[in-house]
Amino acid sequence: MSEASPQRDPGEGELGLSARELRVRYRHDRPPALDEQSITLPLGQISVFVGPNGSGKSTLLKALARQLSPEAGQVVLDGRDIAHYSGRELALRLGILFQENSAPNDLTVEELAYHGRYPHRRLFESLSEADHQAVERALTLCGATHLRHRPISQISSGQKQLAWIAMLISQSPRYLFLDEPTTYLDMAHQFDVMNLVQRLNEELGNTIVISVHDINLAARYADHVFALREGRLVASGSPEEVLRVETLREVFEVETRMFRDEDTGTLHCVPLGRSSAGPEHETPT
Amino acid sequence: MAARAPEWAAGELQPHRSARVLALVALVSSLIVVAATLIQIGAGSYDMTWREAWAALSDPALWREPSVILRLFLGEGLADRLGCATPDAIPTATLIVWTVRMPRVLVGVLVGINLAFSGCIFQAITRNEMASPYLLGVSSGAGLTILVVLVIYPHLGVHLPLLAMVGGMVAFVLVYAIAWNQGTSPVRLVLAGVIVGAVAGSIQTALHYLVTDITVVQDALAWTSGSLVGVGWTQVRMIAPWTVLCVTLALSGARYLDVLLLGDETAKALGMSIERARFLLATAAVLSAASAVSVAGLIGFVGLIVPHIVRSLVGSPHHRLLIGSLVAGPALLVGADAAARLALNPLQVPVGLVLGVLGGGFFLYLMRRKRDFGRL
Repeated sequence: MSEASPQRDPGEGELGLSARELRVRYRHDRPPALDEQSITLPLGQISVFVGPNGSGKSTLLKALARQLSPEAGQVVLDGRDIAHYSGRELALRLGILFQENSAPNDLTVEELAYHGRYPHRRLFESLSEADHQAVERALTLCGATHLRHRPISQISSGQKQLAWIAMLISQSPRYLFLDEPTTYLDMAHQFDVMNLVQRLNEELGNTIVISVHDINLAARYADHVFALREGRLVASGSPEEVLRVETLREVFEVETRMFRDEDTGTLHCVPLGRSSAGPEHETPT
Repeated sequence: MAARAPEWAAGELQPHRSARVLALVALVSSLIVVAATLIQIGAGSYDMTWREAWAALSDPALWREPSVILRLFLGEGLADRLGCATPDAIPTATLIVWTVRMPRVLVGVLVGINLAFSGCIFQAITRNEMASPYLLGVSSGAGLTILVVLVIYPHLGVHLPLLAMVGGMVAFVLVYAIAWNQGTSPVRLVLAGVIVGAVAGSIQTALHYLVTDITVVQDALAWTSGSLVGVGWTQVRMIAPWTVLCVTLALSGARYLDVLLLGDETAKALGMSIERARFLLATAAVLSAASAVSVAGLIGFVGLIVPHIVRSLVGSPHHRLLIGSLVAGPALLVGADAAARLALNPLQVPVGLVLGVLGGGFFLYLMRRKRDFGRL
């Protein structure tokens, strides 16, 4: 359904995902992890949330995907309050990959990809041709067709991440959320994952939200960067606008030098050291 | 990782291999059930050769008149109302086989299915390979309820299965509540199960001191050791509906069990209402385990071992695991019951004791063999 015209769906409210004054608190005796923040995701683009540990980037990501219930505020998905969607309806529009995943040791890559079809099937419905096609397409996109019969516990962590993304793709949602998908991967696999994300955006027109630590990944792949600190959005805009020495000092408390690669035009960040001007206290995590 | 490379190659063949292994499991299990059935039918104070046993089992006097079998299955009351034929003269051998020995095998089959399915479901919804109706307190709760009824409220005996289910449910909720600390972990669940099991076990033992009638003590002992001695068509009728219900629910929910194994977060993100699914499946597991306890007493380890063996053979996807357990559960139970009968013939050892010895040994093997045992 989403292949042909992923961003148009006649007879619906206005497409898009936005949040108004969202507040999330994990514990009542602690300050909120996300403090009354409003955000509108650029449709059909790659948005990247950056920020130090405990800045609220994963919290914002999960709250936008209805994986956390906010204390206050509202998220509107395609013209409708996200709280009003059934679990299945939501899963057909929005998919999320968590930072840590687990599966039975003997589950194969292909079986995992088929689990992505869960919201597409009713109680007694068996697998349809559409299900098979979606799984094939997902495995092909992820370059995981040769791994399909391998147990998930016996492939590298980079391949494992691709297998989980294959599940997300076979779910075929319009909005894809990835919570720190590159954190535990080596550099080659970080590029694999991010290149795949870029393809999903370019070829399928998906709206993608990613949280990362790595400024350079954000600089290279983001259409739009949101920087968070202590539960607040402190900057948002194109990588050029947000990833500046002053902003990074404020957000990460580090001194950096930014370069633009002459050949590729990509922005690069070299961290120089801890900023002395930044606030002294530690961010609670 | 490099050392595991050969296993990768084995993984390539998996889909076809698993299906073949499942067929093999079904075949071997069926053979065990048939062999055990013939042993059960031939053995006893009225001795029969295998040939006679087979003749009695396939007696045309019965098979030509299906309503007679229906009468056995439904019981006199319901059969009369439905107008089933009353049997004419039936040979003694056939009568013994069909009224005494056959129902025992059938109850064994049903109890085996119930315990195995209950184990499969519990292991999936707790994501814990050590989970079983026994370990999660369901059996202890149901068993304690049965003893309380036998010793203190004998007039409630007719409601035994229902009361056993309530007892099993209460104990399970209790175990879950004790283990709960912003979610549960395998270790916490097992420890909570040990706590509830220990308390229930002590109260059970204490109840024996309240009894003045020695036959009640013997009765109680049979319940707590888990035995199929003396079960008949009444017990078949008591457990069969719950078996059907549980099997139907579990098989139609196989996909839900699979997705639950991916963890709560992922299952929810895929659109599953995890609380509702888990509650429904847990209810089915409790009902099937408690109904097994209410006819056969406390039979341990079946719910733990069967899913484990079958999983190691056919893998964790539940459409295969459940089908495998559907045949392997009866094979273990009926096989152990035949062994129990032959072991100290003519003395009848309760099947629960045989399974306790087998199960303990198997558990030991698992702990020595698999270092990551317990995680699913």
